[in-house]
Amino acid sequence: MVDYYTCTGCSCLCDDIEVELDGENVKIVKTACRRGSNIFLEYKENRAEPIIDGKKVEFEEAIKKGQELMENSENFAIYGMDTIPVEAQKIAIEIAESKEAYIDNSSTYCLGDLVEMVLKNELPTATFEDVKDYAYVIFYWGVDPHNSLPRHMSRYTYYPRGKKRQRGYEEDRYLVVADVRKSHTAMLVAKNARFIQVDDDLKLVDAFIKVIDKQMPEKYADDAVRVIREMQKADFNVIMGGLGLRYGLKGNYEKFKEMMNKMNEVAKVYFIPAGCHANMRGFNETLFEKTGFINKYSFKDKESSLDYAFFELLKNDKVDTALVIGSDPVNSLPFEVSKKLAKINTIVVDPRNSFTAKIAKVVIPSAISGVEQGGTMIRSDGVRVKVNGLFEREINDVYVLERLKEVIA
Amino acid sequence: MSFAFKLVNRERKLEECTPLFEEEKYVRQKNKLIEYLKPLEEATETGLIVKEELCVGCSNCVVVCPVHVEKDPYGCGSGLAPKTDKLILKVENGVVHVVDMDMCRRYGKDRVLCVVCRENCPTDAISFLEG
Amino acid sequence: MMRFTKFLKIEVEVVVARNALIPDNKSSKEYLENAAVAFLQEEFAKANGFKENDVIRITSRGKSVNLKVKISDAAPKKGILIPNGIYASYLTNFDGFKRFNADIELVDEEITRPEDILEELKG
Repeated sequence: MVDYYTCTGCSCLCDDIEVELDGENVKIVKTACRRGSNIFLEYKENRAEPIIDGKKVEFEEAIKKGQELMENSENFAIYGMDTIPVEAQKIAIEIAESKEAYIDNSSTYCLGDLVEMVLKNELPTATFEDVKDYAYVIFYWGVDPHNSLPRHMSRYTYYPRGKKRQRGYEEDRYLVVADVRKSHTAMLVAKNARFIQVDDDLKLVDAFIKVIDKQMPEKYADDAVRVIREMQKADFNVIMGGLGLRYGLKGNYEKFKEMMNKMNEVAKVYFIPAGCHANMRGFNETLFEKTGFINKYSFKDKESSLDYAFFELLKNDKVDTALVIGSDPVNSLPFEVSKKLAKINTIVVDPRNSFTAKIAKVVIPSAISGVEQGGTMIRSDGVRVKVNGLFEREINDVYVLERLKEVIA
Repeated sequence: MSFAFKLVNRERKLEECTPLFEEEKYVRQKNKLIEYLKPLEEATETGLIVKEELCVGCSNCVVVCPVHVEKDPYGCGSGLAPKTDKLILKVENGVVHVVDMDMCRRYGKDRVLCVVCRENCPTDAISFLEG
Repeated sequence: MMRFTKFLKIEVEVVVARNALIPDNKSSKEYLENAAVAFLQEEFAKANGFKENDVIRITSRGKSVNLKVKISDAAPKKGILIPNGIYASYLTNFDGFKRFNADIELVDEEITRPEDILEELKG
């Protein structure tokens, strides 16, 4: 009987990882990709330490300072939570609610808009298990899974055999990759596959719509005709959209929905957001359950708006204290925005000494999901995955958030 | 030509060409050949070389291998962790490693020119000596 | 040999994309080696006088970083590819988050370290 663990490196949430220990050190990690393996192998590296104003302190002092800043804050925001379990995300949302604060995660500038359409049933969706068992056309649009989701193609989509896809990728699958350049994923396009070099995603969307209506599009006619023809050969096809699609659509989601509807008039096509962070969707769904919105939410105004996006709040100097947990905005947000984090009271809760931790006022060290803390995480196709910690630590995200919550009525 | 082909396939060793080693006049050719054949020492029996620094551990090679699909249909063949240790390739500590090259279709009497693992590696982490 | 490209600044499109070789440990040497890079196609690099391991300065919206040139087939045909991370975030903004224009030029300097950006951030 083998003990399998779940890797929290990305939204694939591979739950078939075998780990061999040597005391408290991880010696061997089987099956996980480079990023996932390193999370286990190097879990002791670059750890965060309790810090106040750049000086190392005792853990309790950091907690108390965090509590103090939160209590005194008049305009409080919570951000991140992309790598922490749903159980911890729930507590963060409770804190935001009690403080009438703002709450947001990376999905606002990442795949939130696409996830929202799926959660509101505006786009038909499926699970990766369905894709593996039934999907013929595997269409990666604006995403390079080889780099962002390394095992995606071999575990869920193009390469594995499935119930109705027993003859393998060369006969039973048709790969389509649409990207602005020939990414590593696009290099896998060989026979029974197609690479679409996209300069304007909206024109490709338009091409599909026009071709189905038997009209001549401005561009990408051959590509659209071929892909639709392939989709019609089977009764299950899937489009997985990433950041390239999200930004390429320039906010024209209605057009994309129109395209999906049109495609479903002539073939069966599902949509799955190809997310990056392990539990980004977990936050979206957890907040959605509570408020009906997936991100950029204000508990004071009881609504979601671009004004309440974390980067907008920072840009417009609307917060005095920010709790950044399980995320590294200095790494991902534009500099002009992230530099504000050094000016306000930033409390970072993170297992690692991230870039944001290096400029924060207070740093509270926490646990690494999948290694030192378990819980539930939601895969980018919406399937809930159980995560177990290799070692369970008392100090983890749930513990830290419960401690911080103590000072809120 | 036949001997040269068998040299590359490791069925013969360079030392078996006794005149090459025993006669003075062939010293230059001998040294050149030793230099040319050096990469073979690093390659496996079927001439497969793994460049770990290019591998991201995507497992494409493990899942597409026809031998793996046959031997482990519900493990590797289905994209999941292998259910057996008897495999050609495995991903361990984030990169691919060779386990048992004997099972590879490129080797042995009934060998086939199979390049599926290399073809589905977009970073050229896997390559074959024959090019 | 005189390198004439030392005096040339060219405008290119920059594409930002994820790179699987970048480790999670952002304080490591490996992070610097894999994140402080700009990928170029071989032909494009040659045509503009750049070669592998050259350091180029990329300037966009008034900000610059120095990155090491790496030749890669995954780069756009005409332009450069930089990985997601602190360098891309330093240069970019939400309009043109993953694709923007920048000037690039060969420089005789060190690559920018994350610490340099953090120092500037702290102000």
